[in-house]
Amino acid sequence: MVSYIVKRLLSLIPVLVGISLITFLILRLTPGDPAEAYLRLSQIPPTEAAVAAVRAELGLDRPLPVQYGEWLVKALTLDFGRSYATHRPVWDEMMLLVPATAQLAGVSLLITLLISIPMGIFSALYKDGWFDNFCRLLAFTSASTPNFWLGFLLMYFFSLKLDLLPTLGRGSWEHFILPAVTLSFAYIATYIRLLRTSMLENLDQQFVLYARARGLKESWVIGRHVLKNAMLPVVTALGMSIGHLLSGSVIVESVFAWPGIGRFCVSAILNRDYPVVQCFVLMMSFIFVIANLLVDIAYAWLDPRIRLKEES
Amino acid sequence: MAATKKQSNKFRQFAALVVSLILLVSLAAGCGSQTNKETSKEKVLNFSWAKDVGPLNPHLYSPNELFAQAMVYEPLVQYTGDGKIIPWLAESWTVSPDGKEYIFKLRKDVKFSDGTVFNAAAVKKNFDAVLANGKRHDWLAFVRQIKETQVIDDSTFKLVLKDAYYPVLQDLALIRPIRFLAPSQFPESGNTAEGIKQPVGTGPWMLSEYKQGEVAVFVRNPHYWGTKPNVDKLVVKIIPDSESRVVAFEKGELNLIYGKGNISIDAFKQLQASGKYETKLSGPLATRALAVNSNKGATKELKVRQAIQHAVNKEAFIKGVLFGTEHKADTLLAANFPYCNLGLQPYEYSEAKAKSLLAEAGWQEVPGKEFREKDGQVLEVEFCFPSTDAIQKSLAEVLQGDLKKIGMKVKLTAEEPGAIFQRQKDGNFNLISNDTWGAPSDPHSLVGSMREPAHADYQAQLGLPMKAEIDRKASAVLVSTDEAKRQELYREILTTLHEQAVYLPLSYLTNIAVYSKNITGVTFMGSQYEIPFDKMELQ
Repeated sequence: MVSYIVKRLLSLIPVLVGISLITFLILRLTPGDPAEAYLRLSQIPPTEAAVAAVRAELGLDRPLPVQYGEWLVKALTLDFGRSYATHRPVWDEMMLLVPATAQLAGVSLLITLLISIPMGIFSALYKDGWFDNFCRLLAFTSASTPNFWLGFLLMYFFSLKLDLLPTLGRGSWEHFILPAVTLSFAYIATYIRLLRTSMLENLDQQFVLYARARGLKESWVIGRHVLKNAMLPVVTALGMSIGHLLSGSVIVESVFAWPGIGRFCVSAILNRDYPVVQCFVLMMSFIFVIANLLVDIAYAWLDPRIRLKEES
Repeated sequence: MAATKKQSNKFRQFAALVVSLILLVSLAAGCGSQTNKETSKEKVLNFSWAKDVGPLNPHLYSPNELFAQAMVYEPLVQYTGDGKIIPWLAESWTVSPDGKEYIFKLRKDVKFSDGTVFNAAAVKKNFDAVLANGKRHDWLAFVRQIKETQVIDDSTFKLVLKDAYYPVLQDLALIRPIRFLAPSQFPESGNTAEGIKQPVGTGPWMLSEYKQGEVAVFVRNPHYWGTKPNVDKLVVKIIPDSESRVVAFEKGELNLIYGKGNISIDAFKQLQASGKYETKLSGPLATRALAVNSNKGATKELKVRQAIQHAVNKEAFIKGVLFGTEHKADTLLAANFPYCNLGLQPYEYSEAKAKSLLAEAGWQEVPGKEFREKDGQVLEVEFCFPSTDAIQKSLAEVLQGDLKKIGMKVKLTAEEPGAIFQRQKDGNFNLISNDTWGAPSDPHSLVGSMREPAHADYQAQLGLPMKAEIDRKASAVLVSTDEAKRQELYREILTTLHEQAVYLPLSYLTNIAVYSKNITGVTFMGSQYEIPFDKMELQ
């Protein structure tokens, strides 16, 4: 197991280098000059001399392999350069913003699990009952509700009309409720349906019949036998969701003025802020890969039939 | 049977969970409303901005936000809305007859917000820091013109230029890069391009609290020489989304929305119609205009360009798209700008006139066809605009509809801003959005930039037979020391551009303000980027 994890971690290196190289090249291929974008951002007309000065200042006038090589060497020491837009070290910016996003993602994930797991279980146990139908309706609604619209709706009712919750920003834990609920909404329905299907499949299995035949308590059968197996697809989805929650929270962050990484990176893309985009992509790739690894480990734990192939 | 019982137990547990969650939320809500209703005797003005105010370095650009820089730092002279320059940190000034030397007498009662004295040495130190980073300020001709800075005595500062350059005072009134940081806050190296210690200026406000990307709090500068602000605290909340800003305002978490583009025009109209708030509109601050390329395709012809001027129903556009929040523009620069009150004859809206101009140019209607043709070619122009701008998108549709009426086909090209800038530089457009600079930079910056190939202005004018003449006059006007001659040169340049129809002015951009009824003293400044918070009063 340990050597498997070590191997997987080592295989991360070429993956991340590859991703960074592809990101680097794609960024250079997109139209738009970062030096010019910077000047426009500053409301400075981009005269040739000004563009040249900024290009030299940002090191964009050097050959591409040199630029990439230098970036890579520095990146190894977590020095991702300075943001073109804010002039602060990219890593510092990330460390300032990532916790906000991570907290939001964490709370959303918690809400998702707290709501979807019981609901998924009951949906399956009372298949085709009113509760199951309600969950189905919820799934349809959530799949077709845009994030930003739901965000505004919640903000409008709970904050403006009912005056129950703060509208925007970050401070106390009440600030988490609206953005986290908005963010979890889409996931909740997915998880309910996923767990329901998986539960139903497992309930039909022979081992369930056998467990019941042995006279085990129903809660024991559901909890220890069915649920544990039924959680496998949920764990997979969870692995992907962590990455998505961290990288895709931009709309929710904008709507609720949440000072997180999502909106910082979107403006970085628009501003051609290469160092920020490169660092962000690398960081997210890292999180995705690690989440995948954790999923694999969780699999082995949940289902002993799945053995991590140490020799592979 | 047993199973069903177990299941119903489960259900009860689940119901309990749901109830506890609801309770949790209500509890949270309870706490929330308590904190919201916290009262304080302090007069706090809550404002919001889409971006973080930045490190507030007076000598640098993005991510420093202009309005915040203007709160902390002051200029030597101030630009008023009617095109005049008034004394500010400089009480008076004299200009040598050759226009190359400026001597400024500084106010003696000025202190920085940390209590240190503002004097000629501080002025020189700031000027020198700007000059040391000269390349970055290359866009500003004034900085390129500075030859020398001298301290004559404690309250006298002298500026020596390489050549005469008349808009010195206008450029000194700009929010950046020439405003004054306390010498105590310079970095060890003296190079402010590397950063500053703390944002300490002579302005009415000082930064008291700052959380990057969340909030910036400003309080009164206790040493301020002028009238101190009425409110005790100004809280700038960073809210990137304009609709969220409106909700926060309606909820009372903000008392003021100010500036162009901070909320949608729909929202402005809705807030205005509610009758619950005060709204205000500034005078013309810049011009929303399109550059019409005299060097490409159908718009090479003067009559086609003139036909476009007559065909566009600006009033309908302002009413329908801008909900009347901007004023109609007949000329490229509004008459309230210096040298711009020229009494030029507007191109009146007339479909018939536009049609006859096209016919004169040889573009004839073809029976059974929608668009005019000449030598088998369809009359088509391309309008390029940034896809991210909602107003430009609506404008594109208006333009397309109006020009279709006179038999002109408009190809709409929406691209991301970077690509549009590229087109402005290489002249690959017939029509392109090209707003003017605004006060206090116009008209001199606009006229100056006409000589730069990287500007849409240059590209659009390239097909004019008198382009070289325009450039020559533009260069002459900037160095002329004779007021009457300058007026004459501006008259010639602006009249030619008007007659040649290389710009389609649509409306004059305005700043908007929406505020709660307990605020008074909301006014507008000459520059669109400055917000006079210090004049506002909270009841």
